Formats: sequence, C-alpha cells, structure tokens
Amino acid sequence: MTTGTTGTPDGASLLGPEAQFRAFFDDPRWALGIIRATVLEAAHPQVGAALAENSTFVAHPWRRLRNTFLSMRRMFDADPAVREREAARLNRLHARMSGSDAGGRAYDAMDRPTRAWVVATLFESAVTMCRLSGQPLDQDTMERMYAEYRAFLAALDGDARELPERLNDFWPYFDRVVEEELEDTEAARLILFRLFDHLPAPALLEGAPTLWAAGRAVVGPLIGAITVASLPDAYRRKAGLPETPGAPTLMQGAYLAAGLTRFLPAGWIDAGTIIEILSLPSHGDARRARSASALRARLKWASALLRLATPLSPDTGPAPAPAAPTASAPTGEGRHSAEEFFRQVLDQTGDGHLDWPDLAAMARELATRLDLDESEENRLYDAFAAWWRELQAALDTDGDGRVSVVEYAAAVPSLAGPALIRVAEVLFDVTDKDGNGTIDADEYRALFRTAFHRDLTITDGVYGRSAFVGDFLSFMSGRRANTPYDPLLSDA
Amino acid sequence: MPRHADRQRRDDGPVRAVPRHVACVMDGNGRWAQRRSLPRTAGHRAAETTVIDIIEAARAAGVEWLSLYAFSTENWNRPGTEVDYLMRLVRRVVRKHAPLLLARGIRCRFLGAADPRIPRELARDFEDLATLTAQNRGMTLTVAFDHGGRRDIVEAARSLIRTGTPADEVTERLFADHLPLPDTPDIDLVIRTSGEQRISNFMLWQVAYAEWVFPEVLWPDFRAPDFLACLHTYRCRDRRFGGVPPQTNRDMS
Repeated sequence: MTTGTTGTPDGASLLGPEAQFRAFFDDPRWALGIIRATVLEAAHPQVGAALAENSTFVAHPWRRLRNTFLSMRRMFDADPAVREREAARLNRLHARMSGSDAGGRAYDAMDRPTRAWVVATLFESAVTMCRLSGQPLDQDTMERMYAEYRAFLAALDGDARELPERLNDFWPYFDRVVEEELEDTEAARLILFRLFDHLPAPALLEGAPTLWAAGRAVVGPLIGAITVASLPDAYRRKAGLPETPGAPTLMQGAYLAAGLTRFLPAGWIDAGTIIEILSLPSHGDARRARSASALRARLKWASALLRLATPLSPDTGPAPAPAAPTASAPTGEGRHSAEEFFRQVLDQTGDGHLDWPDLAAMARELATRLDLDESEENRLYDAFAAWWRELQAALDTDGDGRVSVVEYAAAVPSLAGPALIRVAEVLFDVTDKDGNGTIDADEYRALFRTAFHRDLTITDGVYGRSAFVGDFLSFMSGRRANTPYDPLLSDA
Repeated sequence: MPRHADRQRRDDGPVRAVPRHVACVMDGNGRWAQRRSLPRTAGHRAAETTVIDIIEAARAAGVEWLSLYAFSTENWNRPGTEVDYLMRLVRRVVRKHAPLLLARGIRCRFLGAADPRIPRELARDFEDLATLTAQNRGMTLTVAFDHGGRRDIVEAARSLIRTGTPADEVTERLFADHLPLPDTPDIDLVIRTSGEQRISNFMLWQVAYAEWVFPEVLWPDFRAPDFLACLHTYRCRDRRFGGVPPQTNRDMS
C-alpha cells in the first residue's frame, strides 16, 4: 500500500468501484467540498501560478467541472487499464504546464510536493465536509479513505512518498503546509470573490441569461462566504479574509442541508446526470440530450416570457410626438446602435469600459471554441493585443487607459484599422485548415458550428479571404447588426 | 374543430363555411392620419386597436389561421423616421399584448423578419413571442413582417435546388413544402382595407385561390363588425378553384 501503484493488487482494490471515495461522487456536500479544496489548492503559490496562467476554469468553469468529474471517475474505474490511461493523460497535461508567474516565480505542475498537496486538499476537504455537516467519519473509514487518496497520488506519481504514510502524521503535515506555504494568491481570491459572481451560465441555462444572472447575483456571494467560513482558521488569518457575521452559521447550515439529502431515495441525486444535463450543449447526440432539451425548451419558454414581461426603458418606446425628419435623426440612431454594440459585444466584462481583459476574453473565446493549438492561439492573441493598442491609441481621448462608451460612440467610423483587419486575417487563416486561401463550405460550417454555435447554409460554397475579412470587419466595427457573428461575442 | 364541421354541414347550400385562413392587408393608416391632419405615424398607432380587435373577432368566429400583412420589404423605402417609429411601435405592441395572445391560446409566428435592418431587440421579441406561444393550439396568427411573396418563392426554389430534387419530381405540393412556414394552408380570404385593389407581393403562393374583399374603410377604422361582414361576403361567394367542386380548400388538402 505504501508504494501502491494501480498495478499492485492493493492499489487496484483501493481505487476500484468499492472505494469510499466514490461514495461522495453523488453527495451534494462534495460540491461545496470541491470548491473549498480548489481554494486551498489555489492558495499554494505553485498551484496558484499554474492556475492563473493555464487553467480555463474562470472562462469555462462548466466544461472544466465536467472534465474534472469525468477524469476522477476514470481514475476510480473498475478497469485498471482505464485508470492507467487516465493517469498518463493527466501527467501529459500537467507536464505542459510550467513557467513563471507574474512575479517571476517559477512553477511546475509536475512538482511532486505540489501534486501531493492537491491530493491532500481533496482528502482534507472530504473529511471536513463530513465534520461540518454533523456526520464525522469514524476512524476506520478515515484511514481507508486516506489510503485511497494515497493510492490516487501513487497512480499519478508512481508512489505516494510525498504524503505521510499514516493518517496521524497527515494532520501535522497539513497544518504545516497551511501555516508555512499557503499564501494569499491571486487565484484563490479569484475563486472566492470573482468566479461565482461572474460564473457564465451552463449550457442548459444559456437560453435564460436573465434567469441565470438573477440567481447568480444571490447565490454567488453566498458560495463565497460559505467557502471562506469553511477554510482553516490559520489560512483565513494569513490571507486576511473577511469574517462575515453569520457566515459560519450559514456555512454549517449549508453543509447540514446538503448532508440531509442522504435521506432522499437512492438515485435521486446522480452527479453524473446533473453535470451532463448542465453542460451538455444543445446539439449533443447523447441519449440524455433529449431530456436536457425538453428541460431547455421549458427554460427557453420561461425566459422568453420574462424578457417580454420586462418593461421597456422609456427611451425605447415610441416617441409621443414624432418630429418631422431632421438632419440629426440618423446621427442619433447611429449613436444609439454604437452604444448598443459596445454594451453587447465589446464590453465583455460588463464594467462599462473597454479594456484589455474584454478583448482577451474575445480571443480566449475564439481560441477555445476553435480548439486552436498553441502557435495559432498565440497569433490570435497577438492580433487582438495589437488591435487593443490600436483602439487605445485611436479612442482613448481622455487618456485613462481604457475606452468609455462615449469615446467609443464618438469614433465608431475609425474603428476598422489595420490591426482589426489583421485579427480577421488570423481568424481566416486558422479556419482555413487546408490553407488554400478560401474557406470552403466545410471549413466555414465548422467555424460557425464550433465557434459560433450556429448552423449556416451557405449558398455560394466558398468564402474568399476578402469577403470574410469584409464581413468580420463590418460586424466588429458595429456597422451591421444581425450577422452570423452575433451569437459568438454577444451571447457568450 | 367539430364545431366547425357541424356548421359546414348545416351551411351546405349557397352559404359556405367560415374561411379557414383569412389574411388582412392592413392598408390606409397613413391616409387615416392625413385626413385628420396628423402625422402618418399617428395612423400606425391607431392601427394597434384594430389589430387586437380583429384577432379577437377572428378567433371568436372560428377562423383557424389569421395572417396580417404588417410591413412589406418595399416599406423600407419609406422615410427613415417613419420606419424607425414603426419598428419601435411594433416592439411595444408585441410586448404589450404577449400575455393576452398567450392566454387566448393563439400561436404567433412571424413571416419574413429576416432583414438585418430590423432592430436586434425587435427580432428578439419576435422570437420570444413565437417561443412563448409555440405550444398554443388555438388560432395561428402569422404576422408577415418585412415579407415579400416573390422572395419566399425564390427561397423555396433555392431550398429545392439545394436538396438536388430532379426537375421531373417537383410538384406543387413538394414546392410548397420548401416555402417558409410550410404548414400554412392556402389563404381562403384576403381582406384589403382602404379600397385599394392590389396584391402588393403578399404571400403570392398561398393566395392562388383566395377570394378578395376590398372594404372602403381605412384600417384604423376597421372593426369586428366590418370583419364579420367580410366573412359573410366570403361565405356567399361561389368558390370554384378553377373547376366546379364547391368546396373550401380544407377538403382538398
């Protein structure tokens, strides 16, 4: 067991389908536990840096959640071959993650003590989650679970030497790392205070952004407060996290309530189903897609009702006494649509200003949806960065480093500069997989299906570079509404 | 609808059944306003009352399909401010009456409404209203907004060609399946208000055997009794579909 790789009979039995660990898969408390564990991971400077630089969980938390869940499930699969394949995959994935953080400190996702810490946080959070919900684990179960987590680490690293052999030695180890190594990292703060406030809607709720935003506004800060209250005291003190009055009670209430679901009939809560339904895109072909799409239809209906029932702002109603045509009318309309475009497409973070993070979000969205490899992704980012410099130079008239709606609306016509053209060209190049200078019907369809979630019927078959660039420009400079590009950047 | 079938049997004589599909070309809003020395836009605003009145009257009379010709592709040529005003007006009307349409079991759809010049919010509202009422099984209300009959036919031809159907196999029925909203039945009765007697590129395919009625009254003044009078005119007509069998199109399809 001490060197339990998945190959040994010992390890196999530990990681197999009977593992104590698996019992938590469908436990709603585990959702809270995982968040807590992730914060503790991110508080480790090595993990924090790797997360900040490499992870997609902020941009695509749902996809990330699903991937993690599936990966965990494979790691505890009954078939040792599946487990080994998954371990190898995880190792390959992490081997690509190394570099240095913003402060110049080096990090490496293959660093063994760091990987041990990740497993340690998962174990400790599972134990804590049981304690907080008033159903502490007995010593035997805890011992067994610890052995399972060590086997998990061994499956990844070859052995589990980095974690103390006995459970009794684990607690001092854990406390020591919390005391000595954890920091108030940017990534931990991001998870605690920003992720849940900005969590994008899962695929299921994509049709109901209003509904999602309303729920998130209430639940987001709550999850943050609950997680903060559940963290070890030593870390809270060290990171200067707020002690919100009532938060500990709230936290225990949440864990308790989540724990009560054990009285529900077996099979009512199946994490796999929930995650699939939440994250399955509408065009998925799985069997579950049908129930998900029925659910989605109801949600679509509800959000249509909600939107239609929302009162219009006064300026969108018909003018009481429409004036005779004046010269200023078209300008007014142009300004109106420019502001709208700014709000819906450019200002991705919704803070009322156009800033680099907004454009980075666009680049990331495109790169992820198009599944670009590293060099293509870099080209796209570079092109967006150049566009940002161009925008800043042309539009930031008050020199505060960002572009406001007013500055934008005043300068719409000058928006289609050379750098934006470059963005369009890069986008064209990465779509033109066979590099023949035109996007043929298949490539175009692939671009729109994967990147823009939309099926297109193209009449003339091929799409030349200049036509593509022209269309993209007229969309990006807000000159044309209702283009196929709309769903990409305005809905996402 | 059984009620419908009964009436058809009873009325078997000189008087035909209630038309299954009625279309209204809402003409005369501008003139209505001009006669009152009001801006043209006031006429459009006054049209709202008529629309709601007619929807209600059609539903009560047992009409199963009602189509309204709201805005033709050619209307984009009107003065910019009028178009602009119309867009905002339509948006307000759609939102205001959405709950009523839902409660009345009316299924709403929009024909055309694909032009990029249509404001994004309005297109969104159209979509929402269609989503909201998609499951309704009462009357189907088709609003032809930014619609052009020829364009629909061209679209159908394109779609047909894309499927690669051999020329010999193209039939009227098959062609009709490629029109937008292909489940729409042929129109039985077209009412065009304000005395104008033109087709104006309206649902050209579906009006092939339609009866036409041209009341002199302007659309903002058109009310439920006028609508019922038109239905009566229709029921007294001898429909032949180019041949002899005195049937409505319900029995043909």
